[in-house]
Amino acid sequence: MQVLDKVRETESLGREFLVWLWFKTETVEWVFDLGEAGKAELWFDERMTLQIEHDLGVETITCTGDHPHMKEARFALSEKKDITQAMVKLSLGDNQWSFILDSTWLNFKSFKTPKVVQDKEEDPDGIFYEKMFLVEGAIAAVDTIFSSFIKLRISPEWETKERPALVKWINEIK
Amino acid sequence: MGLISGSGSLTRYWVDSSLSANFMEELPKRIARYTFRNLEENSFEERSVGWVNIMDILDNRFTAMEYLKEPFIAMSLRIDKRKVPQTALKQYCLEAEEKIKELEKVEFLPKIIRKEIKEDARNRLLKRAIPVSKTYDMIWNINTGTVIFGGVNNKLCDEFSEFFLKTFELHLQPIFPYSLACRMLEKEGASTGALDGLVSLNFPGGK
Repeated sequence: MQVLDKVRETESLGREFLVWLWFKTETVEWVFDLGEAGKAELWFDERMTLQIEHDLGVETITCTGDHPHMKEARFALSEKKDITQAMVKLSLGDNQWSFILDSTWLNFKSFKTPKVVQDKEEDPDGIFYEKMFLVEGAIAAVDTIFSSFIKLRISPEWETKERPALVKWINEIK
Repeated sequence: MGLISGSGSLTRYWVDSSLSANFMEELPKRIARYTFRNLEENSFEERSVGWVNIMDILDNRFTAMEYLKEPFIAMSLRIDKRKVPQTALKQYCLEAEEKIKELEKVEFLPKIIRKEIKEDARNRLLKRAIPVSKTYDMIWNINTGTVIFGGVNNKLCDEFSEFFLKTFELHLQPIFPYSLACRMLEKEGASTGALDGLVSLNFPGGK
């Protein structure tokens, strides 16, 4: 099977991850244990894109604003739309990142790392390694959280506990 | 501005096979073959693509193997394009056509002549067009086999994969949620079968 066919066939996995992540950050667990890397705080911020496919094509809505709970996006979710992109803020130790996480490829868009402190003139390679440390730190954090989601998603607990709580949260907005 | 020097977007890949025993020996030659070359002022080339130093887009020589930053191979893919503005081309053609009509004392020019004028005008203007440069960082961790590319546009990502293949003779596999999940489960010795059962289900969010 071609990669693009597989991406298309399995695209719901990334969408489920984003909605689960939002649910977690809005309800109980906005601090994620990343093991040796420490504890990361994560929240959705300012921008979200949702999509629904129907017979007439694809309908996309983008919600922006600084309302902490993004009511319009929550409402769109309850109207069977899926999250395809979300602006995420990640905080780990003294560092904070911001990026738009994409559900199809798990790409990072508009990716901003904390400021690099190395001096380019003094040590050009130092800048590279510091920046890579920061880039890989955010990627590893998202991968660890994604891995927790996958383990939960294939466990019996998903059907008995997580999914009912998630559906209840989605429908609360109505 | 690339990922390393500022902010940007990124796509991730895996290199889908292991490196040959003489990979590091061959590396300088492979990269040298595909370094960036400036568009010649007098050429009709519209585009040039190649590798440059990730810390300096004007450096395409890599005299000190600046791409080697262990455990990474890091470079920028530089793409220069020059384009003839359509309005300028139209104006230039009109002027040229008028001149010929006056010289030959005719009212209309045949289609084939107008086509030749247009082609000639496009080539003349192309030589004068200033190229626009864009760079996209590529950071390959040779220990983990993961590649970060500083772009997300599908067409651009395809071009990058092809260029990577040409340079290193290695295929890239794009990372997406399902492939990442499979890799994670395999790493823990778990079966990916459960995942295949899941993916055909729609998300249950009240649906």
